[in-house]
Amino acid sequence: MNPYVRYFLKRLGWSLITLTVAVMLNFLLPRMIKGNPVDTIVSSMTQGMTNQNDIKRVYETFEKEFGIDKPLWQQFFIYVGNIFRGDLGTSFGQYPKKVSTILANAIPWTLALQFPAIITGWILGNILGAVAAYRRKLFDKIVLPVSMAISSFPFFAFALIVLFFFSATLHWFPIGGGYSFDLIPTLSWQFIGSVLGHYALPFLTIVIVAIGGQAIGMRSMAIYELNADYILYAKLLGIRDRKVVRYVFRNAMLPQVTGLALQMGTMVGGALIAEIVFNYPGIGSSMFSAIRQLDYPLISGCTLMITFAVLIANFVIEVVYGLLDPRIKMAQLEDN
Amino acid sequence: MKGRKVFIFFTILIALCAFGLSAADAPKELPRNETLYINGLQWGPPANFNPLSTNAAFPVGYVNNYLLVYETLFMFNQLTGQSEPLLGKSFAWTDKLSLKVELNPAAKWNDGKDLNAADVVYSYMAAKRYALPWSAYMDYIDSVTAQGDSTVLIKLNPAKPNRLYALDSLNKVYIVPQHVWEPIESQDGKDITKISQEFNANPVGSGAYKVMFYDDTRIICQRDDNYWGKALFGKLPAPKYIAHMIYKSNDAGTNAFRQHEVDVSQQFINKVWDLWKKGEPYKTYLDKIPYYLPGGTPSITFNMTKKGLGDNVEVRRAIAMCIDYKKIAEVAMSNYSDQVVPGIILQTPSEKPLVDESAVKSLWYKQDAAAANKLLDSIGAMKGADGIRVLKDGTRLGPWDVSCPYGWSDWNASLEIVVQSAKKIGIDLRTKFPEFPVWYNDVKNGNFDICMWSTTNPGVAQPWDRARDKMDSTGVPPIGQPVVSNSNFGRYKNARADELIDKIPQETDQAKLKEMYTELDKIFLTDLPIVQLMYRPSLFYTVYEGVWKGLPDSKSNPSNVPPTPEMGSFIKALYNISAK
Repeated sequence: MNPYVRYFLKRLGWSLITLTVAVMLNFLLPRMIKGNPVDTIVSSMTQGMTNQNDIKRVYETFEKEFGIDKPLWQQFFIYVGNIFRGDLGTSFGQYPKKVSTILANAIPWTLALQFPAIITGWILGNILGAVAAYRRKLFDKIVLPVSMAISSFPFFAFALIVLFFFSATLHWFPIGGGYSFDLIPTLSWQFIGSVLGHYALPFLTIVIVAIGGQAIGMRSMAIYELNADYILYAKLLGIRDRKVVRYVFRNAMLPQVTGLALQMGTMVGGALIAEIVFNYPGIGSSMFSAIRQLDYPLISGCTLMITFAVLIANFVIEVVYGLLDPRIKMAQLEDN
Repeated sequence: MKGRKVFIFFTILIALCAFGLSAADAPKELPRNETLYINGLQWGPPANFNPLSTNAAFPVGYVNNYLLVYETLFMFNQLTGQSEPLLGKSFAWTDKLSLKVELNPAAKWNDGKDLNAADVVYSYMAAKRYALPWSAYMDYIDSVTAQGDSTVLIKLNPAKPNRLYALDSLNKVYIVPQHVWEPIESQDGKDITKISQEFNANPVGSGAYKVMFYDDTRIICQRDDNYWGKALFGKLPAPKYIAHMIYKSNDAGTNAFRQHEVDVSQQFINKVWDLWKKGEPYKTYLDKIPYYLPGGTPSITFNMTKKGLGDNVEVRRAIAMCIDYKKIAEVAMSNYSDQVVPGIILQTPSEKPLVDESAVKSLWYKQDAAAANKLLDSIGAMKGADGIRVLKDGTRLGPWDVSCPYGWSDWNASLEIVVQSAKKIGIDLRTKFPEFPVWYNDVKNGNFDICMWSTTNPGVAQPWDRARDKMDSTGVPPIGQPVVSNSNFGRYKNARADELIDKIPQETDQAKLKEMYTELDKIFLTDLPIVQLMYRPSLFYTVYEGVWKGLPDSKSNPSNVPPTPEMGSFIKALYNISAK
């Protein structure tokens, strides 16, 4: 068999096993939190009722509706069966909204905020780190401490300070929200402009913190590579600096790409703090309140999505690695 | 080649313009001087606009009694305690068990059909068939029948005749269109779980507003210019749009309020007086402490089955006397509360006349740590080596948990102060703040020592309902099973109190009622099953006057509009305001 196909199938197999275990844990763990979620819904419905039989009737209706009266293993199989049909269940906390509706409404905002921010932060951070490693001297002496300061500053504090200065005090940016308070979504330039204006601050805060983190990582990898034997050899051979630098970056980039894959996967979990500070729509705060309300279907829906995203991202990266990194090609050929 | 590129460019341009024009009927921008912005009534994305659901979003949510889309027969005015006419014109008792209501013949649904007695009958009786938000009333109401198109007769359950709840229902039951919901009932196989899952995006109500737009970030209502209420109020409400932004946190909402993006705020705002310090046009109903009118009293409830606590009224009284109420009001409530006058009534014009103050005054308590210490000394509770008292029979006064849900910061702060105060007189209390679902489950089942909870909201059934909620033991199961009929989590039981709570709603003689309420208040103050920590408004009311003028305050309120955003007869405010 073609070594590539073997590699691909092996990776796929492992991903599927991981997925199965993840789905099982995903189902089980929220249900182990202490407390009964049906209580919250039923108690508001039966407020003030005195007839115990009526109250019991309502309770049993909802227990049946949410399948909580069945044994755990049976609930699991119903759950898996529903997933295949695309039905992630009905939320307890936002009853009677369907989990898929909640996710469908919130995910686009989350992805639109995080995806460009993470990519931009990653690219700029890596360039900065690589240049700092290559140039050394003064440039590096500034970049390293500044990056460390930014990346270790707690994000919520950074976001609050940015909001206070640029929005509340200077009024350069709006105080929060996804788009202006007096607009209704339409495909007009005014609306798009409003969305972009409200997008700016959360985007910038995420990018700046990402740059800090990436720069440090890339700088360390690049310095490591620059001290490798093959670089010294290449320089002695007389190969031009620019070409040498290209070799360095291609090798130093590999761990950074892995990191990016993981970030891409977990970004569907939402940027909780950015959402709260900037009042930005997204899935982060929905997931947070789902956990606090013991909203099993919504918690499972969110974590399932994160699981899928991380697994897919990892799988894609591993395939890309296989193509990019010649050492893996060699390993497969040797196996044969 | 060039021609093709130009062609593609123009196609895209035209397509974009078409998109821009296609949403031409919905306004792209809400004019600031035609829109009233509100916050604090909706904290998450709208679940549905279904009046039969317990989870409906603003402006349909039953709990806060909004009258913007669906209406009730009468509107409750928290200022005067009166029920003011809306869909109903007048009501009268024809005999001890029958309440006759005359409807306003002008009432219409927003789809043009007439609203008549059949709809009222339908709305009430559906609550007997299914578990609806107002089903609790139907335990006490036998039947609601139509007598012609404009008259309705409510007959009480002779076994449990509760006149107060019948009157309360006039202000609370949403009247929903039979011609819309009856077909939905059959379609959903008469299954309440399916019926309450209907989203109802375009509610057919009788109110002045329709739901125009909603998403995860806002809910916007538009005025229905064909609103029948023009006949009742003489004109249409002033705001063409009412918009409620959905904020993810209290802070985000208050920030927006400071930026003039909100007109009426139902949020707890810390140090509200800072808003108008620099002359900005903000105000609350009262222009000085406590700024807000009381609606209830968050209180600590004692578990009456706990040894040393439940069987020892002196210990409870000592706790009541040691708490630093002033500090709680200052620290936890930003001074939005006066000193609580203990008892089952609020010191409002409608409730004060119901109790003979001279008979109960001697039972009132206030903060007096020295007297509390003396009281405990007098029952022989000596302080041990660790400073905590021990009763004569060996029961140590503690450690007892005082709990409320995590994250309710003003309550969390209040309980910290209670613990500190109790320590000073030798009682060992500890705070406990679990997450809400866990906490709620525990207290309902009686697994707590002391917990904090609120009292029921103002209404025509007060102060009776407040007493029933905390003192009635009917239907309260033993520890281990959940209490659902009221919030007597502590399992307090007093046979005479139960009797009074049962008889008061049937009594019509004012003098006799005063006797009964006074006796009930005495029992309350003697037994102290709860200790009231502070006053809290039923709804906060802070206003930005930069755009809309004429919102009520204590100095200028000619139509007696209660400062309860969107609840009950607050709706009258919408007719008195104007924007520049």
